Amino acid sequence: MGLELNKLSEQVNKMGATVASRSAEIEARLPKARATLEKITNNDPVLEKKIERALSMNWTGAIPTSEPVHEVFPCPKHPDRANVAAADGSQVYPDRHGIAIYYLINTGSIIFRHGLDEAPICSSYPSLFYEDHDLYPNEVLIPSSLVNARRDIAELRELAQIAEREIKTAPTLLMLDNGLLLYLGLQTAEHRQSEEILGEYLETLGEIESTNACIAGVIDRPRAANVLRLLRLYDMENDMFNTDELRSLGNYSQLTDRMLFGTLQPGERSAIFVNASPQNLERYMPMGQKIMFYYVNAGTRDQSVILRVEIPEWVANQPEQLSLTHSGIVEQARFGNGYPYVLIRSHELAVVSWTERGHLDEMVGGSMRRSGLSAVISRKAQGKQWTNSAKRRYGQ
Amino acid sequence: MSDINSEVKTNSSIPIGRMLRSDTTGFTFGCLLPEPEVPLFGDFVKAPAQQGLTEIIGIIHNIVIEDDLFVRQLIAAPDLPEAYIQDQRRNRQIPIEVSVLSVGYSSENGMMQGLPPQPPVTLDYIKHCSHNDMITFTDRPDYLALILNSKETPVEELIGAALQRASKARPIEDRALFLLQSGKELARLLSDDLSKLDSILRRIQVKT
Repeated sequence: MGLELNKLSEQVNKMGATVASRSAEIEARLPKARATLEKITNNDPVLEKKIERALSMNWTGAIPTSEPVHEVFPCPKHPDRANVAAADGSQVYPDRHGIAIYYLINTGSIIFRHGLDEAPICSSYPSLFYEDHDLYPNEVLIPSSLVNARRDIAELRELAQIAEREIKTAPTLLMLDNGLLLYLGLQTAEHRQSEEILGEYLETLGEIESTNACIAGVIDRPRAANVLRLLRLYDMENDMFNTDELRSLGNYSQLTDRMLFGTLQPGERSAIFVNASPQNLERYMPMGQKIMFYYVNAGTRDQSVILRVEIPEWVANQPEQLSLTHSGIVEQARFGNGYPYVLIRSHELAVVSWTERGHLDEMVGGSMRRSGLSAVISRKAQGKQWTNSAKRRYGQ
Repeated sequence: MSDINSEVKTNSSIPIGRMLRSDTTGFTFGCLLPEPEVPLFGDFVKAPAQQGLTEIIGIIHNIVIEDDLFVRQLIAAPDLPEAYIQDQRRNRQIPIEVSVLSVGYSSENGMMQGLPPQPPVTLDYIKHCSHNDMITFTDRPDYLALILNSKETPVEELIGAALQRASKARPIEDRALFLLQSGKELARLLSDDLSKLDSILRRIQVKT
């Protein structure tokens, strides 16, 4: 029967009312959070002691830097000439019901030469993975998390190559549409692959650093609460908290950093913080790639758009590079309705539509048949093909 | 052909787009802006049909530049730099949709004026008609009745543009005679609609 929307109308109405009521409750907690942010001063020995103890308990808050935590920074002037590049990737996961087991990573990139009137350079590079060592790295079929990690590496490698070429002509900003802390949701069995991938990722970040280009990971509608965890820590009476207390957001429950920094005016950014996640401090920091972040309003007076921007420490420490991430993202967002234009375009260049995926399957099937192999999908996949097409109902 | 007017496209070997959809009376093809030969209203084009046994001849009567949500939000952007415009125009694959009225076809028996036996098939290449194609096809004026009877085309503008194209494909010394003969045929077909006849004749009159 599929989804019968008429049976959902009452539930949807109730949901709307609940969401509105919950939103009002959450908003009411914001003034207290903002007041606490105002109270925090740098080099507060009590807070520093709390942070030190929290870090030993796998705290995932935000560590203040030399910038006052409540300081607001206006958008610097964008350079007249700069290169802004972005890369994005999409994937087709291995499908055991398909005609053959393979996976695909398609990387799209765009190089925007700000200050020149020429059309940007657009590229996309599809790679097909079908060898045993690609598909069965641990004697079982590669998990989707590992495909995702390989896609992330491909994006970063593409940006590293762009950086090497483009930096020769102008200051160069590279952008990714996700955070810079690689998410490796791999099982223990994939530990070795996880180590290899993280090593390659950090090495590539190092290559980008050596080109003197800067890089920023941009997250739209971020759900992170690192700064709120700092506020929660500040509120604690002493440093004798336990893990459960540390994990809870207390009075700031369900708030996000995005809400906290909702007062930023168009173009303004927050202070920079260090992401205190253990992965960052234990793996990234020793390699000189500690990840820091700030929030920026890339919207307009009519519509705020708070983005989270993640940058490596070496970008944060160089005023010109930091400034380019800030002004570059704001400038690009002017033409993307609050989201950087190059990120919209790189996604468009990378995305593999269902139609394209169908065409790829046809190509693979043809190649198999030419090699004397049968190319059929599973009975289950065939059944889905029959039933997922547009439904036709007669007599209704 | 002693005189080829530079305004008329001459290279009929370069595809200008690919078929999107079709029926017996006409077809629509898509092309991108950077294509070497951007089609024009009133151009004669041809499309293969019946697995290459025939070529359908048609006249472009509408050109639609499609938009999408991304383009729409850029419309409102103040001071849009040229690079963004170039990206949208040159890099993004938003097709221009070109609608064609079928007016005849060619086969091993020569050129025929009238509706083709089968429409062209999706993704077939569309090409411009060469000067020779246009001269041969418009040698007889029967296709004018097909245009006059079409419901969805701007008839007067289309006949005017098509006759100008066909005229300019001919040597200068033949053009006036061609337009005169076409005008006579139109006078016969539009004997009961003198205002339409007058409107078309004004569009094709030879300047002396």
